[in-house]
Amino acid sequence: MARRIRSTTVAALAALTATGVALSGCTAGTDEGGDGQTLKLWHYEGADSAMGKAWAEAIDIFEKETGATVEFEEKSFEQIQKTASQVLDTDAAPDLMEFNKGNATAGFLASTGLIADISDAVEEYGWDDKLAPSLQTTAKYSEDGVMGGDTWFGVPNYGEFVGVYYNEDAFAEAGLQIPTTYDEFVDVLDAFVAKGVTPLAEAGAEYPLGQLWYQLALNAGDRGFVDQYQLYDGEVDWQGPEVTAATETIAEYVDKGYIASDVSSVKAEDAGVSFINGTSPIFVSGSWWFGRFVAEATGFDWTMTAFPGADLSLGSSGNLWVVPENAANKELAYEFIDITMRPEIQAIIGNNGGLPVAAEIDDITDEKSAELIETFNGVLEADGLSFYPDWPAPGFYDVLVQELQGLVTGVQDAETTNANLGEQYDEGTAEFR
Amino acid sequence: MSLVTRREGRTKLPPEQPSIPQRRGGTGAYWMYLLPGFVLLLIVVIVPLVWNVYLTFTRWRGVRSPEFIGLENWQKILGDGDFWTSFTNSVWMIIAMVVVPTILGLIVAALLFDVVGRKFGGKVGSFLRATYYLPQILPIAVAGIVIGWIVRPGSDGALNQMLGWFGIPAYDWLGQMPSALIVLMVVMVWVQLGYPVVVFMAALQRVDPELYEAAELDGANWFQRFSAITMSIIRPEIFVVTLTCTIAALKVFGPVYIITRGGPAGSTLVPAYYAYQEFFTKRNVGYGATIATVLTIVVVIVSIIFIRVQNSLERKERAGL
Repeated sequence: MARRIRSTTVAALAALTATGVALSGCTAGTDEGGDGQTLKLWHYEGADSAMGKAWAEAIDIFEKETGATVEFEEKSFEQIQKTASQVLDTDAAPDLMEFNKGNATAGFLASTGLIADISDAVEEYGWDDKLAPSLQTTAKYSEDGVMGGDTWFGVPNYGEFVGVYYNEDAFAEAGLQIPTTYDEFVDVLDAFVAKGVTPLAEAGAEYPLGQLWYQLALNAGDRGFVDQYQLYDGEVDWQGPEVTAATETIAEYVDKGYIASDVSSVKAEDAGVSFINGTSPIFVSGSWWFGRFVAEATGFDWTMTAFPGADLSLGSSGNLWVVPENAANKELAYEFIDITMRPEIQAIIGNNGGLPVAAEIDDITDEKSAELIETFNGVLEADGLSFYPDWPAPGFYDVLVQELQGLVTGVQDAETTNANLGEQYDEGTAEFR
Repeated sequence: MSLVTRREGRTKLPPEQPSIPQRRGGTGAYWMYLLPGFVLLLIVVIVPLVWNVYLTFTRWRGVRSPEFIGLENWQKILGDGDFWTSFTNSVWMIIAMVVVPTILGLIVAALLFDVVGRKFGGKVGSFLRATYYLPQILPIAVAGIVIGWIVRPGSDGALNQMLGWFGIPAYDWLGQMPSALIVLMVVMVWVQLGYPVVVFMAALQRVDPELYEAAELDGANWFQRFSAITMSIIRPEIFVVTLTCTIAALKVFGPVYIITRGGPAGSTLVPAYYAYQEFFTKRNVGYGATIATVLTIVVVIVSIIFIRVQNSLERKERAGL
């Protein structure tokens, strides 16, 4: 009996040792810089989205041209957002990863040295020539992780911006024209309210209300305000004209019935659906809804424009391809990025409701998509991209949601809302300034 | 005389602990069996706890090295309104997850055992018990989504539609205060009720029916029997339910995350969700650790108080006081 126990123990130890050797062997292989034959790729685009389709085609081309294999892992946005910083610090890091742009996200990773400086690759492949200056802002960071710096830490393949979706049938029925100025926009809102319609699809529990708030601040501000707010180029005056106009106007929109009184618990999906089903004739939101509306808002004609009368619009490059510092196959990662910048891949994005950054306009065969790209190019040409309100400080998204909920439910007034926002903004950005 | 007295003493006061046969040769060998447990305790509880306490004295973004800042996080927490709001909401959660379910659980268990069980048979009682327990085994993510549909704003929500039948206008249940907190509390009562019901019904099996019969003969009504006999005998179970539910109420996270995300305007914030926000969205790991440490201290203090009170009552009971 004793002998049997001893022999079992020895066998178990031998098995454990063998497993350990095998595992350490694997790890050693990874540490040595990869095999040059496998690209470990993470992204979080849905398979049916414009980007998902484009990346799938890029993977095919990559495997055919390089002979290497793509080891693709589909992740969720939340998964990468919340856990990437821990994973990237280990040998489990992928070779190439899609990541959200901005100071609190890609900037944070850049400042901690978790993602690689890819400036040399950008120059070698000439990606900088394909990207408009305002799109480059979110791809380049300072050593503190503030966007608009000198060092390339990512490459975007597509863009996005926030505009206004209009239900053209509802406008025609009400005898109204699509507004081209802010005053006309307000007149339209009044006209719909007079007819008993709540005109704006809105969501206070998620991003749409915060984005409308920032758009209203942009209407009252200029590039200097954007640079103060986003790039920390000077102090933001949280009781100043831009923020005050935004906060007071949001409260006014609720009071006047432009926005439903129960907006504080509505989610983005519900707001989008209320536009799709024709309940709300106007929706201020991003180009990321465009493909969905093409597919689902089929019961009426609709169009999308930049916010009427605004010189500045929310928007930026899309998410970035970043190369982790611990990546084993960086060269393969650069080759993959280069493929995604090719016109044929860019055309897939453009023809599926996305906004390509380097497409040949003749390749865009879909009429509706061409219209969207034209609007986006108009914003780019006017140097109008002004990023998103939650970017400057980690966790500021939740702060905005919380404070604007306080405003629209009447728990706090505009001045208190601004003061609370300012306090949290200052705290969150203190170490970057 | 003395012999008789000794015999009476034996029958009235049984030994407090069952006697364990003692072996000669000391207890050193037993420690070997406890070793795996201690190692696990060290890895899973003690090391993370010590690390968490250390982090409260640091500023850390989750990667690279933490920066030591002394008592800054502890000073900040004292003046942090959101932190105090979150602990105030814990009191509401204790009402929803401990006070109401325990009282209701006692009543429901007694009714199922006494009335339903006797009149309709044990199977009906068991079926109803399982029905009350169902929310406990339902994933809170699933329950939360369904509840979100029920109380969604506008006339699309099931609750608003039903109220509409009676001419009551639609209300934004999760978007206003105090309705958001009330909805959350109602959900927690629904989720929690099954647990005390199951525990109390099991405990009721221990009650000797002869005690009830004797009380009935003495003219005691149902409530008198319930308060004097049932409550007294199942007191240990009441303590266990109260203690475990209080700890669960202090640590509650899932329902808040799924149903309200702490909103509107932070009005349903609870400490665990607040710590999560600081940890993962603001990357204030040091401050998040401070909130988590305070929560741990509160849970430990509450547990000690409960256990001491229970032990004290048991001692008094044994002493026949």
